[in-house]
Amino acid sequence: MELFENLRLELRRGCLIVAVLAQLRVEQYGYTLRKAMADDGLAIDEGTLYPLLRRLETQGLLVSQWREEDKRNKRFYRLSPVGEKILGRLLDEWKSINASLDRILQEAGRI
Amino acid sequence: MNFSRNPNPTELVDRYLQAVRFWQPKSARQEDVLAELGEDLRSQIEEKETEFGRSLNPDEVSTILKRCGSPMMVAGRLGPTRHLIGPALFPIYAFVLKMVLLWILVPVFIFIIGPVNLANAGGAWGPAVAATLANLLFALFIAAGIITLIFAIVERTSSQLGIECKWDPLKLPPVRPQERKTSFVKSGCELFFGFFGLVWLLLAPHYPFLILGPAAAFLKGAPIWHTFYIPILLLCLVGLLRSATMLWRPDWTSFPLWSQLLQNVLTFVVLNFLINAAHTGNGIWQPFLLPQDAVASSAHFIQVAGFVNLSILLCLAGTWLGLCIATIVQVWQLLMYLRKRFSGAHQPATLAR
Repeated sequence: MELFENLRLELRRGCLIVAVLAQLRVEQYGYTLRKAMADDGLAIDEGTLYPLLRRLETQGLLVSQWREEDKRNKRFYRLSPVGEKILGRLLDEWKSINASLDRILQEAGRI
Repeated sequence: MNFSRNPNPTELVDRYLQAVRFWQPKSARQEDVLAELGEDLRSQIEEKETEFGRSLNPDEVSTILKRCGSPMMVAGRLGPTRHLIGPALFPIYAFVLKMVLLWILVPVFIFIIGPVNLANAGGAWGPAVAATLANLLFALFIAAGIITLIFAIVERTSSQLGIECKWDPLKLPPVRPQERKTSFVKSGCELFFGFFGLVWLLLAPHYPFLILGPAAAFLKGAPIWHTFYIPILLLCLVGLLRSATMLWRPDWTSFPLWSQLLQNVLTFVVLNFLINAAHTGNGIWQPFLLPQDAVASSAHFIQVAGFVNLSILLCLAGTWLGLCIATIVQVWQLLMYLRKRFSGAHQPATLAR
């Protein structure tokens, strides 16, 4: 079970980056982003999301700003122009991997 | 400590954030991350309150905080990923560390500093060996620290300067046939225990209890050992050099076989001379141990010495026989190795293990 869990986390890690970038095509703050991802079936805890957002921002893929909303300060994130380009390329790569995997699975199924 | 029993949700969240802050390194980024975490927790509480249509009680807030994780764990997850030496530099770091510690410092201490200290010890070999070992440990510690520091600096600067490792596939060395290499652990253990064996042997003449134990009070070495002590010491050194060579060049696959054979032959020669020297002819044997001068006339101790001498003689005979068998086995192994080597010499190299 531990082996499966490690492999599952490894598989999820790359997907989470694409999911976060895709979600942030629309500006959101941390909690709503987490909620939206959980609603779409990709739950992510605080300890994983916030360091990931920091890293993506440091890499220039996201931009953020603190703003007051409902009398509370919230940090809003959205995709930067560089992030949009990278996301496009990542999605192309994702589709290509997915198509390859489908073919491999179909071929394996025929054997 | 006097904590409020019914804190409000905001107070509980603040306490939680304070606990997380305690475990995090102090920086502006820390406050930023904590503010964001606080906002996330407050949003969760607010959503639950909207769902229930009332304020959450401390237990319900506590459940949310528990789900988030212990402050120490959360601080760890929120902090930046830290490593002193990254995966790109680590292999070369490990290589340099191994080279400097094992192949420069240890041999320098064993073959240069150690003997010099012993020569200057004026007979006080015990303290000299202890001082050499202490100096060796100190030098290993300092060298490891300096190497780690240098690599840590290179790690930081290279990632900041964007230095890339340039390499050319055409310049890679050709594929070598895979052969079973000598075990690193085995060679390391042999070297380690060989070194301590040598130290033990060097100390034994000055501290006879290391060999004789409590019997050192009434027994002493016979003159025969004056002749054979140096050859035995040299044999021990040969074994040490062999282990060091196997550790240095594990890819020398034939070396362990023929060097072991050579070592056995040398041991065999020394053992043969020892047994021959002990046997003076006509069934008379030179003793290996004698009673101490104080008890030299005691019939009891003379009898004890006789038993011990007989035991040593039997042990030497057993070792002689064991060495004969081991030598035959090793000659066979060496022949098999040479046969395999020469019969497979024209086969193409393969990467399969």
